[in-house]
Amino acid sequence: QEEAQAIDQELFTEYKFSVDQLMELAGLSCATAIAKAYPPSSFTTSQPAVLVVCGPGNNGGDGLVCARHLKMFGYEPTVYYPKRPNKPLFEGLTTQCQKMDIPFLPEFPAEAALIDELYGLVVDAIFGFSFKGAVREPFGSILSTLERVTVPIASIDIPSGWDVEKGKADGLQPNMLISLTAPKKAAKHFAGRYHFLGGRFVPPALQEKYALNLPAYPETDCVLQLT
Amino acid sequence: VPISPRQAFPLPSLPRKQPTVLVVCGPAQNGAIGLVCARHLRIFDYEPTIFYPKRSPDPLGSPPSARRGACAVFVSPPQVQLINDAYNAVVDAVLGAEAEAGEGREPCAAILTTLKHVRIPIVSLDVPSGWDVEAGSSSGISPDVLVSLSAPKQCARRFLGRQHFVAGRFLPYDVQKKFELNPPEYPGTECVVALRAPR
Repeated sequence: QEEAQAIDQELFTEYKFSVDQLMELAGLSCATAIAKAYPPSSFTTSQPAVLVVCGPGNNGGDGLVCARHLKMFGYEPTVYYPKRPNKPLFEGLTTQCQKMDIPFLPEFPAEAALIDELYGLVVDAIFGFSFKGAVREPFGSILSTLERVTVPIASIDIPSGWDVEKGKADGLQPNMLISLTAPKKAAKHFAGRYHFLGGRFVPPALQEKYALNLPAYPETDCVLQLT
Repeated sequence: VPISPRQAFPLPSLPRKQPTVLVVCGPAQNGAIGLVCARHLRIFDYEPTIFYPKRSPDPLGSPPSARRGACAVFVSPPQVQLINDAYNAVVDAVLGAEAEAGEGREPCAAILTTLKHVRIPIVSLDVPSGWDVEAGSSSGISPDVLVSLSAPKQCARRFLGRQHFVAGRFLPYDVQKKFELNPPEYPGTECVVALRAPR
């Protein structure tokens, strides 16, 4: 967890990347990976409907970017975003989604069965690699519901609620994981069908410094399928 | 933020041993796009060198110098022969659609004159620099590849090079409709689409 935070810090302070830039690239890679693993034609619902659940921090921001690109790729995303930070970045991302006719649910679907009926995929953009400690409401209940959902779940960076290094055996078991920048330790405990790498923005010098040993991305693709 | 259309020049096809590319960045937004392009080229394993003589005072333009990482940066303007010898291709990110017609002020004028004489392929971002956005130019640079951003500009009709791409897959549908843009369909999750060659 510390290494991931250190890399992020260097990207912001030494390389002068803005959060917006990296979040845009991260969200785009999530949408791209999802489109490769679950193309719109593979959905059994009448529209390729996707529920994107966004948490209170940067992982939620990644989710908003992802939702926007999913819309551009022909999906019908719906967002649930209960706790919105009071910052221009997140307000901007929210506006962009709204102006693209992406609905924001006023309430989280009460039953897992309802989610199964309405959506072909759920994107878990609740908590990311900075997550520590206890899960606060409303996310505790949301995660409990998601644990009972049968449609595929794609988690951004870390399955929400998992310890960033040790995982969580009785927690969310997503079908897809999109690791950003590099897989986190918790990814060792990931047992789902698809594992993609995204966030192709780490300069070669930084990759070497932290001995990331990332496998090569194919050509100009922004995602790499690991499994 | 465009990801560079390096489909035009896949790595194995480059004539020189090192995949070197010269990225010439102008003072305004087109130049900033060139900087982003250079960064991604580096990630795609090319070896970009940047020429960025007139750095923009605004925050978007200035920090990128620190982002360059392993990208070399030219201080003085490169000469035609050097460019022909050292690089496989030149990315023209000097002037975009917002520029006034004509050669512009120094040092843009000088570098554009140089670019008219290079023999290696030029990839222009959005508008071939120095061309009038609508009428084009009969005496300006002749790029090999044009990457139109969001939608082709009027002057693209005069483009005679080998490949024309459209990139910048981020326009919301209502903006596309409002301006009657009719952009081409992007395949799958691609952020670049090749248009039919002009000849």
